[in-house]
Amino acid sequence: MIKLRAVFEKKDRAKYISHLDLNRCMLRTFRRSGLPIWYTEGFHSHPYFSFALALSLGYESSCEILDFNLNEEIPFNEVRDRLNAVMPYGMKIISVAEPKQKITAITKAEYSFSFKSENISGLVADIERLLNNNEILVEKKTKKGIQKVNIKPFIEVVSGNTGAGGYNMSMRLPAGTQTNYNPALFFTALKNFTEIPFEVADIRRTGILCGNNEIFS
Amino acid sequence: MLREKIEKYLLDVQKPSRYIGGEVGSIIKDKSETDVRVAFCFPDTYDIGMSHLGMKILYSLTNERKNYWCERCFAPSEDFEKIMRENDIPLYALESLDPIKDFDFIGFTMQYELSYTNVLNMLDLAGIPIYSRDRTEELTQIVVAGGPCVCNPEPLADFFDLFILGEGEEVNLELMDLYHQMKQQGASRKDFLREACKIQGIYVPEFYKFSYKPDGTIEKVETTDNAPEVVKKRIIKDFDKVYYPENFVVPFTEIVHDRVSVEVLRGCLRGCRFCQAGFIYRPFREKKAGTVVNQTKCLCENTGYDEVSLASLSTSDHSEISPILSELIEYTAGEKITLSLPSLRVDNFSEELLEKIKKVRKSGLTFAPEASTQRLRDAINKNVTEEEIMNTCRIAFEGGYSAVKLYFMMGLPTETDEDIKGIAELSQRIIDLYYSLENKPKGRGVQISVSCATFVPKPFTPFQFEAQDNREMIEHKQKLLLDSVNRKRVKVSYHDANVSILEAVLAKGDRRLCDVIYTAWKKGCKFDSWGEYFQFDKWAEAFADCNVDISFYANRKIPYDEILPWEHLDYYVSKEFFIRENKKAHEFTTTPHCRLKCTGCGVNKETGGKCFD
Repeated sequence: MIKLRAVFEKKDRAKYISHLDLNRCMLRTFRRSGLPIWYTEGFHSHPYFSFALALSLGYESSCEILDFNLNEEIPFNEVRDRLNAVMPYGMKIISVAEPKQKITAITKAEYSFSFKSENISGLVADIERLLNNNEILVEKKTKKGIQKVNIKPFIEVVSGNTGAGGYNMSMRLPAGTQTNYNPALFFTALKNFTEIPFEVADIRRTGILCGNNEIFS
Repeated sequence: MLREKIEKYLLDVQKPSRYIGGEVGSIIKDKSETDVRVAFCFPDTYDIGMSHLGMKILYSLTNERKNYWCERCFAPSEDFEKIMRENDIPLYALESLDPIKDFDFIGFTMQYELSYTNVLNMLDLAGIPIYSRDRTEELTQIVVAGGPCVCNPEPLADFFDLFILGEGEEVNLELMDLYHQMKQQGASRKDFLREACKIQGIYVPEFYKFSYKPDGTIEKVETTDNAPEVVKKRIIKDFDKVYYPENFVVPFTEIVHDRVSVEVLRGCLRGCRFCQAGFIYRPFREKKAGTVVNQTKCLCENTGYDEVSLASLSTSDHSEISPILSELIEYTAGEKITLSLPSLRVDNFSEELLEKIKKVRKSGLTFAPEASTQRLRDAINKNVTEEEIMNTCRIAFEGGYSAVKLYFMMGLPTETDEDIKGIAELSQRIIDLYYSLENKPKGRGVQISVSCATFVPKPFTPFQFEAQDNREMIEHKQKLLLDSVNRKRVKVSYHDANVSILEAVLAKGDRRLCDVIYTAWKKGCKFDSWGEYFQFDKWAEAFADCNVDISFYANRKIPYDEILPWEHLDYYVSKEFFIRENKKAHEFTTTPHCRLKCTGCGVNKETGGKCFD
């Protein structure tokens, strides 16, 4: 059994594939590729795949991680090409390699998004005021029910600048097996904070990172 | 651009991948290089429509032609429909995301009567005039329909420019070729319809005028514009060689039948007297074993599905079923593919067959005795004996099954209360059989699910002349059934009586129903086949508003010499045959299936020669 890790892209129409549907979609993609995918042993034998992090519906990404196993050794580029030949529109395998780190090494994910508003300068001022608060409280659904969490200590703003399409931000948030904060929490916090109507567009995951901001691979 | 508008709202609706296309196997063309654009519409949601095999066949077939582009279109769910209406998003096709109102053909497949209001709703969402008489004089936006329900298209006649009778694999392309040619010549819509009705299988309703007698029955049908007096359906002569897709569109979201489907035979040789499919798809034709196996492999490889099902009206009637299954099981087991076999019959369910299917499925078994007593089974020509039912159950139980699902009908012609009680008694005998077996499954009780549909008389069947039970009778029989069964071991399910009544009216109705359907839709009726949407009170109002009497269509026995609303349409099986079969039903006399003896139904007069070698 050969363990492999693929980095893949999910954008365009494919961003509307839900996480649950993505599983089925990958299974069929592997079957179409004819690659010797490894099946689990046991009574209900099924092909083994694992996605490092779930990607929210509607988000694009070029850094998604898929772990899978093959029964024989096949050159990485060949695996990539055979999968890409039968991938749905909007999805692409960028690279295939041996896994280096354990899934548990993931601590953060980086996102980029764009705020659209009639009053963009007012909105930017409110975003800055919000980020300067000591606490950013927002309700989060957890297994224990809805809890109020303070996301302020976890937000790492990478960049923020006004472009043609609106105010573009890049932000890192906790991700991985322990804590997962979706940027939607920040959008909700902003919605509660500002009077200015806005929309968020082009939400994209731009990186899956380890503790020292090293790219997970 | 429409696409941006759609995407703006997509995350606000359930299962958005249903509204944006992009699935593997979907076909994108450059519209500047296409001459004829077709929207293949299924009048229900994506999850249901995407399961329809006919659409997969005709989609691929049309797209094989480089300059024709066939796209898919479904009814949006309520949440997305609201958004579409509020934001002026017209109904669009999933491949190009272009509005279907600009297409050359808008084609609907009519699979069940309760989807009729959805057609009107979809036309309205598209911005296409609902009545054909209100459409442009220009040659564009031709609204067509095919599928089993168009064997009596009269209740839909005012909404469609033309209907396609029978199998579409050849006639659809002939129709598009004619359109393409006439479009280049600058012809009008009317010019096109006048030419189209000369193609066998094409019925243009506006060229047929009905007049009625004072008692409401049909007096005569007159044709205009040189349209043929009788329109014959189309069939594929060489079924083994007929086009079959090498790929399916593979959806992202889960659909009702999420698997490869391979059609193994078309038509049915049984002749059950209530069954429309058993007559309108005649003659019986098979694919060769090798063809079935090759098509299965090809589709599994191209789609990546890990489940395949054999599609037909009665798979076990295939003359080569045993070699087909042996080869398929060998392939599917090796590739870790699940094989499912719907439509097996009780009377040829052998131990050998069970041995084969046991390898492929673990869930329950479903059989359709349809009626509980031999007399009634003989009346409907089910040609199954109680001994065969019991024998099949014994084989199934000894093979490890402990759950059996049984399909029955109630309200069948000649039925009495004894026949209803008989369903409970037959179930009890099956329970007793289970406990009498020494090698029954260990440690499990038997579970029987009885699913009891209400009989709906359908056109082109020997029971087309029959009346449906009225609501009081249906409800009385449903209660009687519930009171008769052993509730611990038998689960009973049945349909809302009003649903079956509406089905009967729409199935056997004439042109006077068009306005009723329109009125019902205006009152808010849609998705009538979905329990939570069905509003019989609104339908009842619509019938009253239009002065149309439900019982005239549903509960009236039709004399043999009355002109039927579908009499000008020829599905190859003769009215004389249906009359003969109807008489035999009332004498409780059976007719053997076509392989044993030709029943003289009339099909072979059309196809030339014998149905079987």
